[in-house]
Amino acid sequence: MKRLGSVLLWGATAALGGAAFGVLALSRGETVNAAWLLTAAVCTYAVGYRFYSKFLSTRVFGLDDRRATPAERFNNGRDYVPTNKWVLYGHHFAAIAGAGPLVGPVLAAQFGFLPGTLWLVIGVVLGGAVQDFVILFCSLRRDGKSLGQMAKEEVNRAAGATAMLAVLFIMIILLAVLALIVVNALKASPWGLFTIACTIPIALLMGWWMKRWRPGKVGEASAVGAVLLLGALVAGGWVASQPHLAPLFTHSATALTLMMVAYGFIASVLPVWMLLCPRDYLSTFLKITTILVLAVAILVILPPLRMPALTPFASLGEGPVFAGKLFPFAFITIACGAISGFHSLVASGTTPKMIARESDARLIGYGGMLMESFVGVMAMIAACTLDPGVYFAMNTTPAALAQASQVLGQAGFVVTPDFMRELAARMGETTLLARSGGAPSLAVGMAQIFAGATGALGGGGRTLDALWYHFAIMFEALFILTTIDTGTRVGRFMLQEIAGHVWPRFAETSWYPSVIVSSAAVVAGWGYFLYQGVVDPLGGINSLWPLFGISNQLLAAVALCVGTTILIKMGRARFAWVTAVPLAALVTITMTAGWQKVFSADPRLGFLAHAASLVGSTSRDAARVIFNDRLNTFVALLFMTVVTILIVTSLREWWLVLSRRKMPVVHEAPYVETEYATGD
Amino acid sequence: MRRETERETGNGTRETWFRRAAQAVRRIVGAPDYDAYLDHCARVGHPPRLTEKEYVAQFFEAKGKGVRCC
Repeated sequence: MKRLGSVLLWGATAALGGAAFGVLALSRGETVNAAWLLTAAVCTYAVGYRFYSKFLSTRVFGLDDRRATPAERFNNGRDYVPTNKWVLYGHHFAAIAGAGPLVGPVLAAQFGFLPGTLWLVIGVVLGGAVQDFVILFCSLRRDGKSLGQMAKEEVNRAAGATAMLAVLFIMIILLAVLALIVVNALKASPWGLFTIACTIPIALLMGWWMKRWRPGKVGEASAVGAVLLLGALVAGGWVASQPHLAPLFTHSATALTLMMVAYGFIASVLPVWMLLCPRDYLSTFLKITTILVLAVAILVILPPLRMPALTPFASLGEGPVFAGKLFPFAFITIACGAISGFHSLVASGTTPKMIARESDARLIGYGGMLMESFVGVMAMIAACTLDPGVYFAMNTTPAALAQASQVLGQAGFVVTPDFMRELAARMGETTLLARSGGAPSLAVGMAQIFAGATGALGGGGRTLDALWYHFAIMFEALFILTTIDTGTRVGRFMLQEIAGHVWPRFAETSWYPSVIVSSAAVVAGWGYFLYQGVVDPLGGINSLWPLFGISNQLLAAVALCVGTTILIKMGRARFAWVTAVPLAALVTITMTAGWQKVFSADPRLGFLAHAASLVGSTSRDAARVIFNDRLNTFVALLFMTVVTILIVTSLREWWLVLSRRKMPVVHEAPYVETEYATGD
Repeated sequence: MRRETERETGNGTRETWFRRAAQAVRRIVGAPDYDAYLDHCARVGHPPRLTEKEYVAQFFEAKGKGVRCC
């Protein structure tokens, strides 16, 4: 009877999801409600979690609750602590979710809502969640070792070094592109800049509170910080309306670039408790609440999607937001919501040290990533509730908009300058044109959804638009800055470790000369790419975001390579397809994209073609742009080479093991029986 | 021998409920939890080697080495 109920329930879930996909796919010309998108996504996640993740945990990985986890064996009450699985789910989600799943889908909305949503939903179930789960599992069986260490032990030393180098370069590109998003959101926006600037003294106060005054009282400090932050948000509106104050917080993109670079350097050099930890707490609280509120608001108003399922840019490949056709660029652009290599760093970092029993890894690794994908779907909904004309006017530089004007006109994606002025005024901004990077358009979408929800619940409605807009901007900028703090610091540790092989003193993480030199080097690295993105006439995001997507997904390829190797060595070669298939897909996507970014004959797409088109130009900037195109070429080729090396070494290892030329040795920690009660 | 993964809290009074909720929130945001450390010391059977201040300082230092995603 119970079995019949289960069959009926899951049959109905699958049928409902299928029907929702049908509605999305077959609607042409009419407006679709976001409810269909949500239904399709949630049903797919449910079926994927119930069946596929169960198959992975029982048949493929063989999770064993009788085996003691690192948290139990090394329990020290600090970083190794057995934790309730739902609590750890929250912790893990807060660590993996950032700006990526919000921004990627907004940019990919240029192809229409369908391609991006399909990749978000299918990619996560078969790829992204599998990657997070397999790395969490491998690290769990190896005392919580990092991805780099596992690559070194299970594949070979070269693979370990390659993985580490890849992480460092990816970090630099990632920080540059995230900083660019903040710069584009805050330029000429006194309200936004004032609010974000206030987060620095607020964080310092919180740091002093929870370190010096009342040690460990994070809750109190965060509550005070959150109240002050909301105060700063409201005060920002007042500051922007004061003729003598507003100019103090109105800056060009270049000036903001210098501020970001200075900030990143200071944050990396200061002790962590002063800026990094307090900001991290503030952004974690804000992130979790905002995402919950957004989910509720979308459910309350169920907005219609004004963007069509597919736009002409899917096949033309001349989109004004970023160049390139649907394949491979939709897959590259939606970086984090579908599959993100970065997660493998978290899944082999703090999380495996806190898992109480092996079977919990299914909810945390696989389930955590499903939630991240759901955030991506919500971002897609927020972007697609915008009028397409507004969306393209906001996300495109004037030059790119002019190039695409004919296609935009034919598709009816036009908007009058008056309308844009009125919208900007409603959001409390001077202009919303050419605010590329995704954050402002997501903020407008979120502001409309929040204002619609408060209106539906009897609140102030449209009068709150400006406040919600700046709330959304603050929310994104805050956790981007958290990533910049931690990323610069992690980059500095890596650099210190690498340089320490040559000069051991340099590896001391508290030796000030080394701290300053390595911080400056990391900041200079991402600062250069940021500056290049700010002055790029085509908008920066156009070249930097694909480069980031490629690098992030290549890191995912590294993680899947390590996972496949371990599965083969464990004698589970017949199940190796669970990681090998997403690996093959990712390598195809990223290598195609990398190749096109370098060698495409279209100057809007290919770095080399763009450089060639400027040869002989009389413009003063031409020489610099040509140099940058060549540098981007070098970076893209470097990523591709690094991954090729890793794949070749892994393939060799697989062949040696499978042909029994080499004994498969897995470096798992020895089996220790758990002392926890099991079976309940 | 049966051990609990979280602190032993058999009685469901309002105070213990509040403490458990506070502990869950601390874990989710990655905040220091000196009680968990004391608990651990009691279980292993050695007196606490760190004062609360030292524990908090070490905790933040370790947190600064963690990764946040994009």
